[in-house]
Amino acid sequence: MMERMRRIQAMLDAAPHLHRLGALFSETVLIKVDGDEFYLVFDKGRIDRVVEGPSKKTPYRFGFITDGAALEEFWTATPAPGLHDIFAMVKIGRAEIVGDMLLLVRNLRFFKEVLALPRARREAVE
Amino acid sequence: MSIEQITGRYVTVEAAGRRQRIYFEEAGQGRPVLCLHTAGSDTRQWRHILNDPEITRGNRIIAFDMPWHGKSLPPEGFMTEEYLLTTEAYMETVLAVVRGLGLDRPVLAGVSMGGRIALQLAVHHPDAFSGFLAIEASDFQPAWYDIDWFQRPDAHGGEMGAALVSTNISPHAPEAERANTLWMFMQSGPGVFRGDLSFYTRDDSLVGQLHRIDTARTPVHFIVGAYDFTCTPEDARRTADQVAGATLAVMDEVGHFPMSEHPEAFRPFFVEGLDRMP
Repeated sequence: MMERMRRIQAMLDAAPHLHRLGALFSETVLIKVDGDEFYLVFDKGRIDRVVEGPSKKTPYRFGFITDGAALEEFWTATPAPGLHDIFAMVKIGRAEIVGDMLLLVRNLRFFKEVLALPRARREAVE
Repeated sequence: MSIEQITGRYVTVEAAGRRQRIYFEEAGQGRPVLCLHTAGSDTRQWRHILNDPEITRGNRIIAFDMPWHGKSLPPEGFMTEEYLLTTEAYMETVLAVVRGLGLDRPVLAGVSMGGRIALQLAVHHPDAFSGFLAIEASDFQPAWYDIDWFQRPDAHGGEMGAALVSTNISPHAPEAERANTLWMFMQSGPGVFRGDLSFYTRDDSLVGQLHRIDTARTPVHFIVGAYDFTCTPEDARRTADQVAGATLAVMDEVGHFPMSEHPEAFRPFFVEGLDRMP
């Protein structure tokens, strides 16, 4: 999963429209997958570094907690209903959002698009 | 170059004690079918159905922007008002448009909050319509979110609203239509999506009333997308089960904005629904 997080970091570096969307976003976000913690440290719409947990000392503003199987399905080109979107994952009980929910919502398009960066392109699989 | 068959005009009506200048689009001839957009959006959601030559060959498809939405300006004095849609004002507006356009018992096709008001009209004013297509429609959906998120001075409500509703767009939807669908939410006026959601998530007055619908007089057909997590297929089924004689179809690869996000997948379900109407 660390490799996936680094992939997101690299893909974000190559996505200038997300740098514009996230220009005011310089926060740390926890991604917790099957109990493993990854802290994405954002700086002006880019991921400055990914810090692997566990850590009780790393402050984060909000966190997205899920399981690896759900996340792998989320990253397919056409995920099953409920695993196609982070809020839908929460609604079906496969994910949880903790922390400053309003900060997430104020940056929702940016965060959703960042987390979906590894999603397979439909054209590539059809 | 191509010029589409859609024409747009304005009609001024009295609704909810206010003078409302309402923008509507139409195409086709024959049976009138009045189409209602979702919360936080406008008539452009119906662009593919309005441009469908086969559907419009025997149907006069009409869609209008609710006041405060799209090209329908808010009523005079709006600058000091808080927009909060109510069931009564919504029903009065739809009925005023039916009268204003001289429509003779149209089929009413509503999506999301439009589906909700279609069901309210099926309960309270069935004589004004010949049948109802209740699309992504349920009796009541409380919000899991705070509707006040969508009107704040420190964030763009339209972008936040679009990001929220993107949850309900199918990954099977063409990327261009997904983007168009979200754009309409981004363009929504300040507080309009919030005011629509107030109606959609707080008004439970339809609960317990659906048994009053007589589908022998006015058929009701539900259509719902599997990727709709605002009105899930289970929500639509629960609602349809309360309407004796109602029918329901589930679209496997579609979400909450079927006519806009995935017109190709929606079309056969819409045609089937129309076929069920008088």
